Amino acid sequence: MNREIVRNCTVYSLILILQLYIFNHFNILGYITPFIYIIIFILYKTNYNKTILILAGFIIGMIVDLSLQTYGCNTLASLTVCFFRSRIEKYSFGINSNLPLAMIKGTKFVNRLSYFGLIVFIHTLIYYTLLFFSFNFISIILYYTIVNSIVTFILVWIISQLVYKK
Amino acid sequence: MQSIINSIVKNRNLIIYLFLCIITLNFLYKNSNIHYTQFGKIGTIFSGKTSSLSSSLGFYFNLISENEELLKENLKLKKNQLNIEFLNPSTDDSLRLKKSIISGRVIVNTVNKNKNIIVINKGRLNGISEEMGVISPDGVVGIIKNVTNNYSSIISLLNTELKINALLKNSSTIGSVSWNGLNPKVLKLNDIPLSSSIKVGDTIITGGMSFYFPKGIPIGKIIDYDNSSLEGYYEIDILAFNDFTSLTNLYIISRTDNPELNSLINE
Repeated sequence: MNREIVRNCTVYSLILILQLYIFNHFNILGYITPFIYIIIFILYKTNYNKTILILAGFIIGMIVDLSLQTYGCNTLASLTVCFFRSRIEKYSFGINSNLPLAMIKGTKFVNRLSYFGLIVFIHTLIYYTLLFFSFNFISIILYYTIVNSIVTFILVWIISQLVYKK
Repeated sequence: MQSIINSIVKNRNLIIYLFLCIITLNFLYKNSNIHYTQFGKIGTIFSGKTSSLSSSLGFYFNLISENEELLKENLKLKKNQLNIEFLNPSTDDSLRLKKSIISGRVIVNTVNKNKNIIVINKGRLNGISEEMGVISPDGVVGIIKNVTNNYSSIISLLNTELKINALLKNSSTIGSVSWNGLNPKVLKLNDIPLSSSIKVGDTIITGGMSFYFPKGIPIGKIIDYDNSSLEGYYEIDILAFNDFTSLTNLYIISRTDNPELNSLINE
């Protein structure tokens, strides 16, 4: 158990460092910044404490915000994703959602797709909505959200496969 | 107490989530200019909506005092208007200063008799005396007939006994206005000789030849005339500017005469 916690913490720290030092400086086409740190909230095991997940979402989001100078947009998006994660799980996996690790191994591809996709999309949507914070930019918000969600989703999917191959 | 604690423990995640959201939004509000202005806009809209509702409610309940204020202001303006516009420029300055106005509210008004009387809520205690002229914002109404301490009765223009000195505004021909007891909107203009030229639409004003009204207060306009009379005078119908059926606030003008003037006339 302890070894698993240490391992997870190491993985999460690595992902965060990758986000801060590499992906934050990505500016594909001038506006795409993939948020690979979302994978922490995706892979966090459901049999752990949900309160810790919310607190982790707050702290990690705040760290990313401070480095990106976005003043709370990532924090609020992460917090919301963490808070609603159990509902997204239930929506995506149905009755199996309580099984630890069931989300990654031994589940249907479609279920995983909807789980990853929903979390990434909700996070990115909240992030861009807060970033622009105006009804006049709805079309831009949606466009950026969709493009950024796709890029983030691909990266998150690849990294999750790498992490669980070990 | 136990149940409160239980419900807090049960909903701890929601509470923590909301608490952290507030911290984040506060952080966002304080550090980002865009969010600061946007939150400011939302705040302005919200406070504008709520305060406009409360102020409109307050406004409704203050309508009575608001009305009083408006009446006072109207009175003041009317005084100024009379002093500047209506008074004959040749009138002595001391006479001009003596002119003052009292406002009153109609409490009884009839239009369906041939000797119609209006009663207002001001009387001797308010400075009203007999034979003062009464006007409304639209024009001449009548002359004070009887005064008690708190009420006054007015012979309105819709009274077959009243004749008021009048003037054709364009040609300065002098005549008199009376009522024939039929239509409460139509008055008669008499004593205009056939030699003067008139046309439909000409305005009739007070002539200033009596002590009741200063010169220039509007009475009505010509709507029809008959020049076939053998007596040498027109028969002119005029439409009164006042709607006598819906009078509310009236102004009573003090008389322009003084004892010195009266003694001169009576000699």
